[in-house]
Amino acid sequence: MRIGGHIFIALAALVLALPIVVVCGAALNGGRSMFFPPRDPTLARFGEFFVSEPVWTNALANSIIVAFGAATLAVLIAWPVAYLLWSSGSKLSKVLAGLGSLPFAVPPIVIGVGLGFFWAFTGGLGHVWSGVVSHAILLMALPLVTISIGLQSIDRSHLDAAATMGATEQIAFRTVVLPQTIPYTISGFFFVLVLSFNEFIVIFFVSASSYATVTLQIFNSLRNGYTPTMAVAAITFLVVSILVFAAVARWGDLPRLMGADQSKN
Amino acid sequence: MTVAEDIDVAADSPAKATRGLTRKGALYGVLSALMVVFCVVPFILVIVISFGRKVEGAAWVWGFSFENYQRFFVGTLWPDEVTFLYLQQLGYSFYFAIIASVLAVLTALPFTLLLTRLKRSTQAIWLVFILSSLSMSEVFIVMGWDILLSNNSGLPKLFQVTGTTQWLKDVGWFQSLRDIGLANPRNVKFKPSEFATILTMSYLVWPYAVILLYPALSRLDPSLSEAARTMGASRWTVTRTVTLPSIRLPLMGTTLLLFVFLLGSYVTISVFATPDKQTTAVAIYSNIRGSNLNAPFGSAQAVILLISASICLYFGHLLNRKAEAR
Repeated sequence: MRIGGHIFIALAALVLALPIVVVCGAALNGGRSMFFPPRDPTLARFGEFFVSEPVWTNALANSIIVAFGAATLAVLIAWPVAYLLWSSGSKLSKVLAGLGSLPFAVPPIVIGVGLGFFWAFTGGLGHVWSGVVSHAILLMALPLVTISIGLQSIDRSHLDAAATMGATEQIAFRTVVLPQTIPYTISGFFFVLVLSFNEFIVIFFVSASSYATVTLQIFNSLRNGYTPTMAVAAITFLVVSILVFAAVARWGDLPRLMGADQSKN
Repeated sequence: MTVAEDIDVAADSPAKATRGLTRKGALYGVLSALMVVFCVVPFILVIVISFGRKVEGAAWVWGFSFENYQRFFVGTLWPDEVTFLYLQQLGYSFYFAIIASVLAVLTALPFTLLLTRLKRSTQAIWLVFILSSLSMSEVFIVMGWDILLSNNSGLPKLFQVTGTTQWLKDVGWFQSLRDIGLANPRNVKFKPSEFATILTMSYLVWPYAVILLYPALSRLDPSLSEAARTMGASRWTVTRTVTLPSIRLPLMGTTLLLFVFLLGSYVTISVFATPDKQTTAVAIYSNIRGSNLNAPFGSAQAVILLISASICLYFGHLLNRKAEAR
């Protein structure tokens, strides 16, 4: 690769990192307002975010509940759909997969409005559990894709071998299909987890201001001006994302999940 | 059907096979019900409510009238008076989304091309970085750029301290900046402005552009461009005649997807765009959750946004099909 290429990559990385670095630096401010570079640096804001300020600790707890709930639910719904799609390839399974990806494909504000109405009529508006379900619906497309990729990577001859040796469909499922797709299932789970943590517009409509997740709390605080505690939230979320994706890269095959060609290494 | 599957069926007793079949049927039933209730009903609700009517001083009632759509396209007082305010908002939605998505794809393309030529393990590290930035919430990104572009700290301050502002004044470019609204009499001023809006929006989707282009670019066969190079084509000729034509369709598909994603962006617009350039997404919010409390009109706007997005997605789908057929 030529020098120009290296410079371009470095420049892209710099611009990509710039706002993140600024937010991280702003978290160290001693005063109540955001400055960059930080004035009177302190780590007290971390204590406020994780321990002492109920506004933020509640928001963090809500975020965690919604993210883990949504990730579990999304994987549980996506698994049978992906499995039917792979094992039968029937028209109905294709329709199901298409419908499952629909909420993710349209502008999020539209599905946010729709789910807002839906929960208003079914009585779920403003409850944390409806937030969990909403995020599971919105992000179900992700495990659907990762699990499908995992299932496609199974060598069908393994299944044939299991069948000739007398394994029933259930046994073959448990001994061949499940172990080989676990990394992809976990990747799907983590993708939902991270995106749910950071999602704003759908939870904005379905929470109806009766509870706040961290992103909602930050948006609410936007009007009163920034405080360094918000930057701590941003850092926390960024660290979680990096850890999660690093784990996926370490124990799964991230380039393959992202669709890279298998044959090149 | 493979031989093994034949054996499988023969080994199962008929009763067992039927039981397996009904269980599969039940699974299909449950999943279909789930999908219809959660993925279809919300959209239907939006569409149905868009035909409803707002009651002054109260909420809204069901109904079947096109007045919300009429209001969107020509205004309530049509045909006596015509206003294109809401169409103009949709126009701004398109305007910001188109420029930002094209900008993101154009800058992400060379980056991704270079990325795919790195070692696989290095690629994975980059992907972690890009995915982390991709998953960053819009509110965090807006906050970051807001600090960077704000007048008291960030870039304007940097311009002033380093003397760039003075230099701009000296060479006479400062006046041009003022003319396009990027400066006040004393210093450069980056927000609110179209510049800040478009910058933040393309930053928002840039990691998506990389992730979406990555599969197509990593499947490019390097031997093709190498062959062209050995036959004496210049680097630029190779890019123009070999590389670009083979990724033309994924390139257009990616731009479309980013465009659809940006059509609904709310936080960036509400923070960075000037009040006269607010978009349909902001209007939807103020009708449904905000001060206007006119859910039917907000729904009508959402439906129009949805239709615009669907048309674009359909074209994207056609492009994909074409790409796969080749």
